[in-house]
Amino acid sequence: MRLRHIQTGWTMTARELLRNRIAFLLFFIIPTLFYAVIFLVTTHRQIAFKLASISESTFLTVSQRNEALIFIGLAAVGILTSFLALNLTQKHAAENRRLVLCGFRTYETLLSKFAVLLCVIVGVGCYVGAMLPLLFTPRRFLLVLLGFMTGGYVYGCYGMLVGAIFKRELEGILFIVLLANFDVGWLQNPIYYAQAQNKAIIRHLPGFFPSQLSMVSAFTDHSFLQPLLGSLGYGTALLLAAMLIFWWKMRIRK
Amino acid sequence: MNPENVLEVLHVAKSFGRHPVLKDVTFRIQPGKIVGITGENGAGKSTLLKIIVGWISPDSGQVIKKVATGYCPQDLCVFETLTVAENFAYFGAAYGLGNGNLPGSWTAKKEWLLKRFRFETYEKTLVSRLSGGTKQKLNFSLAVLHSPLLLVLDEPYSGFDWETYVHFWDYAEEMKSNGTGILIVSHFVYDRSKFDTVFELKGGTLQCA
Repeated sequence: MRLRHIQTGWTMTARELLRNRIAFLLFFIIPTLFYAVIFLVTTHRQIAFKLASISESTFLTVSQRNEALIFIGLAAVGILTSFLALNLTQKHAAENRRLVLCGFRTYETLLSKFAVLLCVIVGVGCYVGAMLPLLFTPRRFLLVLLGFMTGGYVYGCYGMLVGAIFKRELEGILFIVLLANFDVGWLQNPIYYAQAQNKAIIRHLPGFFPSQLSMVSAFTDHSFLQPLLGSLGYGTALLLAAMLIFWWKMRIRK
Repeated sequence: MNPENVLEVLHVAKSFGRHPVLKDVTFRIQPGKIVGITGENGAGKSTLLKIIVGWISPDSGQVIKKVATGYCPQDLCVFETLTVAENFAYFGAAYGLGNGNLPGSWTAKKEWLLKRFRFETYEKTLVSRLSGGTKQKLNFSLAVLHSPLLLVLDEPYSGFDWETYVHFWDYAEEMKSNGTGILIVSHFVYDRSKFDTVFELKGGTLQCA
């Protein structure tokens, strides 16, 4: 691995991203809108739900608004980062291949994009998380931020995998919208989880560990280690699969 | 591989589905020679070049090249949301060239190419804002940034104005005299005298034109 290649790739990718000012602004406007809508449509009515990573028999009782704010914050980070990852992976396929022909290694190309994605994940995760204290005080704020970032990590890696598999944007977008809507947009909400019949399906979706980490941190003092490790493991597995497919498609025949 | 050749293409065949594009293509390029391949649309010219540079693999046959290769694809293959200078920097890093004002650095070669092909005024301009001809100059310049000993060009002068076309051939002659083997694929060969050999790709095989 040559750091100069990754550094150059990171610089150029970041410059391209920063030049797309409207998209960049939307990264901050969309979560704000999500929060605003939740704030307007929810109340402080107390709701009871159970968290899969604590105990199947332990119910938490929290404000409906607070629960929804955590849920929607995670969904915003996950959806935004997966779309960005898709764009970074699919865009410039021919140009990236020419770079590989000229001396870049395929994994250097993807890692430089991933490095940009990580910066965005940290930025958006912190921004979305930092708005929370304006609306309510999570029990362990820093861990909630970490939960949002792991959501970005897992869904960012999923976006990279989809981008590596599909050449065209439409198929990629459909796959991301489909899963993100089902997963972080619906099934990972603990209110649904508590009533679900086939919980095993929900436990194997990408949003499970990050949402557990965020919820556990926001409302309890229970251990966050299992959902944290689960998130990192899930995301890394997706990233490795993305790199393998990306390498296969971009490889040069010697 | 014969050390006298910079490229050997031996019995290359390629089909897409049931449609054979290349049946048995064999040719060699020696240092300091310009070889042209012409043919009708869909004859398989670009497929052959993509096989030569390693973009796609042949069904059978062999491509042997052991020298630094420059490839200019037919379709524009540059980063449109970066500036001209940033494209040079990106590809300079890919070739492993140093920067600074030392001879052999990508920065020195960039300055030279910008002047040589008269687009130095666009150095800090985003590629998306350039004319088609200027984009093509950049596309070509990136292929020769590392002074390759084998240059593979797919329709290199489409979009060039007359003056740039003349500059292109002057530069090709210079590279030729420095020992670079050049393969040019084009629909038409305008100046037959500039080529050492011209083949026509027809029916999946090469014929002397």
